[in-house]
Amino acid sequence: MAIALTEAISRLEGRFGARTVVTATAADDRARTRRFATGTSFDRLSGGIEPGSAIALAGEGTCGKGTIALRAVAGAQQDGGMALWVDPSCSFDPLAAQRAGVDLARVLVVRARTNEAVLVAAGAGLRSEGFRLVVVDLGPAFAACASIDDLAPVLPQARGATAALLVVTDAPARRLALPTFRFERVAWEQRHGRTSGWAFAVRKVGDARDERAVLHASSLGRRIVDIGTRAALREAV
Amino acid sequence: MGRAVAVVHLRSEVSDARHARVLETLTGLLPRVGVEGRGVFACDLRGTERLLGSPERVGARIVAVLERVRIPVAVGIAERPFAARVLAERAPVGEVSRLRPGEERMFLSRLPVGVLPLEEELREELGLLGIRTVGEFADLERGAVLDRFGRAAAAAHALARGEDAGEVRGAAPRRRIVAKRSWDAPIDRTDQLLFALRAALDDLGTELRMDGLAAMRLEARLEREDAAVLRLERLVLPPTAEPAALLRSLRWALEERPGREGLGLVTGVRIEATEVELVRGRQIGLFAADAAREEEAIAVARYLRSRLGPGAVLRPRVTDPESRVAEREVEWEEAVS
Repeated sequence: MAIALTEAISRLEGRFGARTVVTATAADDRARTRRFATGTSFDRLSGGIEPGSAIALAGEGTCGKGTIALRAVAGAQQDGGMALWVDPSCSFDPLAAQRAGVDLARVLVVRARTNEAVLVAAGAGLRSEGFRLVVVDLGPAFAACASIDDLAPVLPQARGATAALLVVTDAPARRLALPTFRFERVAWEQRHGRTSGWAFAVRKVGDARDERAVLHASSLGRRIVDIGTRAALREAV
Repeated sequence: MGRAVAVVHLRSEVSDARHARVLETLTGLLPRVGVEGRGVFACDLRGTERLLGSPERVGARIVAVLERVRIPVAVGIAERPFAARVLAERAPVGEVSRLRPGEERMFLSRLPVGVLPLEEELREELGLLGIRTVGEFADLERGAVLDRFGRAAAAAHALARGEDAGEVRGAAPRRRIVAKRSWDAPIDRTDQLLFALRAALDDLGTELRMDGLAAMRLEARLEREDAAVLRLERLVLPPTAEPAALLRSLRWALEERPGREGLGLVTGVRIEATEVELVRGRQIGLFAADAAREEEAIAVARYLRSRLGPGAVLRPRVTDPESRVAEREVEWEEAVS
């Protein structure tokens, strides 16, 4: 009986990742695990980011994915946690991160230059208990060394990990079933004939309510203005 | 019998194994044994006369027992460990020398000042002042030595005058913390092996907790039916006695083993905590829930650096956000050197 149980559990863990099978007490503990937030309307769509989960932020370049990812890092650090930023495209901007409230002393940036290195870095971050958030910023599609579908081997490691996995990508996954938030630029803002910011909308792919959060990023004040969700705006009007 | 300390000085080659062997033998013979240095052991002989005989007899017994296992030593006996140590260092191999009460200061006073634990510079300075023997140094006024040469010199001055506390600090040899398991049906899959290792690590965790210790380095030896023993070694950061964390560490070791050759047919395991740390003072997690994890994050950084090479794991720092030159705004430094 015990051997059969052992085999069944090891088969489940082998297929679905470590800590798939847990005792009821451990499951209850996990349910009570604190989620962390970005402090924007994005949280209304996502319900906060839960350790042990994986989500993707998808959208074309300069549409706010990186800004929200940096806000998530700041949220993860609020209780003293560390974050790992896997950066194959070398696009991590420390100044933008600092403006988003990120404590740079508690971020490790990994310049992974190959698909294999991305998998090694993300896997290591998720398997350890050193981080609350692992961000994989795949960078612009034309320069990316890995696609979101290549991250399939690390997804089982995200399940049950103490960190959440956040994938920032130009194109959404084709083969992976990963909760995805689609970012779209709504309008450019121009002043004196120059681009000074942009407004963008976020929606959860496959969400029946078709709710959107609208935000505005400005390069002048170097800040992000949270306009709100569509439902909240309707209520206000 | 008054106060008596026997210092055992190991001669010839001093390896880790010989040092451990002598310490184990001495702690088996005597109630309080301290380590003075590599291959030098101090044994407090107070209260042992009725059971073991005179200090000389105890010294002779130590020499005889260690001779049987071919470990040559010399023994010096005095009222204080320092004088006994100096005596043992000068005694011929296999001999026991003793200073009677009251003879210590005379014995030390004739020796060069170099026998005292003094820095080279200070020794030279004393030489320039014409102070060449321990006796001449001991004759200096205590307050003047402290004022002019500092605390370390004052401590050496106390040794020269025989005014140090002279206590032997007992150090028991470390108990080996080992867990073993063997299986009738060989295991050939990593996930099954990890599940089976959990039981051994539960035992190891219990042993560690009993001694208030956390494992800092683990060594696992997997016995295989169809291949040689597979040896895995892991540095555990932060040190822990938690079986789940130890298992995670071994999981890494299995996944990262060079070449990742097949696991083979594993029939047994022996896991030893080869380096341990006291758990006391490691409860930082109680006060800052996630701050305790930083050590583990750094361990990951170290691992990634070893896998991806230098310049791969970085920490950014904003140096001058208002700089007009982009390169001066930010500095990147290696997260681990």
